[in-house]
Amino acid sequence: MKISDVIKILNGKLVAGGESDREVGAIVANDLMSDVLLTDSDDILLLTSLASDQAVRTANIVGAAAVVVHNAKPLPATMCQVADTLGIPLISSPLAKFDACVKLYLAREAEGKGE
Amino acid sequence: MSDYQPKILSGGEHRSDDEIMADYGVSEDSPLVIMELLQRFHVKDIMRSRNIISLTRENTLREAKELMRDNKISGLPILEGKRLFGMVSMNQIIKALEGGWLDDPCQQHMSTSLVVLEEDIPVSIALKYFHNYTFGRFPVLNKEHEFVGILSQRDITSALLKELTSEISKLEGKTEAAVVEQRPVENVKSEWVIPYYSLRQFVIVRNDLANAGKAANEIKRMLKEAGVNSKIVRKVAVAAYELEINVCIHSLGGSLTIVLDTHKVTIIAKDNGPGIKDVDWACQDGTSTANDWIRSMGFGAGMGLSNCKRVADTFNIKSVVPTGTTVICEFNLSA
Repeated sequence: MKISDVIKILNGKLVAGGESDREVGAIVANDLMSDVLLTDSDDILLLTSLASDQAVRTANIVGAAAVVVHNAKPLPATMCQVADTLGIPLISSPLAKFDACVKLYLAREAEGKGE
Repeated sequence: MSDYQPKILSGGEHRSDDEIMADYGVSEDSPLVIMELLQRFHVKDIMRSRNIISLTRENTLREAKELMRDNKISGLPILEGKRLFGMVSMNQIIKALEGGWLDDPCQQHMSTSLVVLEEDIPVSIALKYFHNYTFGRFPVLNKEHEFVGILSQRDITSALLKELTSEISKLEGKTEAAVVEQRPVENVKSEWVIPYYSLRQFVIVRNDLANAGKAANEIKRMLKEAGVNSKIVRKVAVAAYELEINVCIHSLGGSLTIVLDTHKVTIIAKDNGPGIKDVDWACQDGTSTANDWIRSMGFGAGMGLSNCKRVADTFNIKSVVPTGTTVICEFNLSA
């Protein structure tokens, strides 16, 4: 699953960070940044309701492929600037976190990689 | 004696919190220091002197009028001891002058349907009350429903201006210091990749969450450039990030220093107080003194120090109250 696929599946919009054709690894849905920092996987897709600079900075520390903020939550201008600076694709999705997780899981399952 | 208890209203908002705060120019894009101040300050921290001029129910409206005139105030609480029974405002005085009942006792004409604030609520909530009601001031009660003072919008403005002035002075001072301290140390070449060791120090400003994490991200970039193994880079970056956030949200400010030599990477987080009373407690998972505002930013779950311990090969912490805390994490490059 590539970032472009994630955008389609979540009916999302790339808001900042630049386009990327990177493959997405594990999917992590979490609002607690200390938990995210403990993730061992590479190229994670971070789903969060935390619309702040720290979500993007945390994603960069763990080498995340992209950050998705759900519920079409307004994204602060500074968050977009940090995403652009660090080159982390920042995606806004109108879906609720649970619905986004289900859609991604089903898409993964269809790919034969459900996890 | 009447058994009157004033109403303590906890809501009354007819608009969303975001809309109300937007009226005050406060939004998600506001500087984080403003958001933090609105949450950190409570009504009891900023309300006017507790030596409030008051009357009892038996005093007349004429006495109230004279007190208000002499003290240039527009309202008086009516008290018995610490118990609030009502308020007399200019409105009641004007009506008494028109109706000719200035010599009636206050209890016959005072407002008894009062909206009061509790002294422990954050200033952000108090602002919403000022928006939702037309009152220029609110009586403040403690948990025992005893009268403790009066809060006006002026109190809020004065307190915020005073604190902001202090915060901005600190930020300006720290910015200048940061420029100096980020220069490469003496006898070290300007580039990061050098034969023996290199060192770089970042200044961390208290409560400056807008910039917190920048140093850790820069450390990650530097280590990658230096060709350090990516797994080690990630561990160092995680510890640096947690320590940077800790210094930012829990201390009075401090610094984050990274030293790279041929065998290991060392991260040193040093703050200027107030120190940790019980270090063992602070290092446990899930223990934290963070407030709701910090938690709303995705931190303060009490994982910071234990995360550092997990990723570092050696972890040392020393804390002295009130001098400050120093944490040193080492990462072996041969791991």
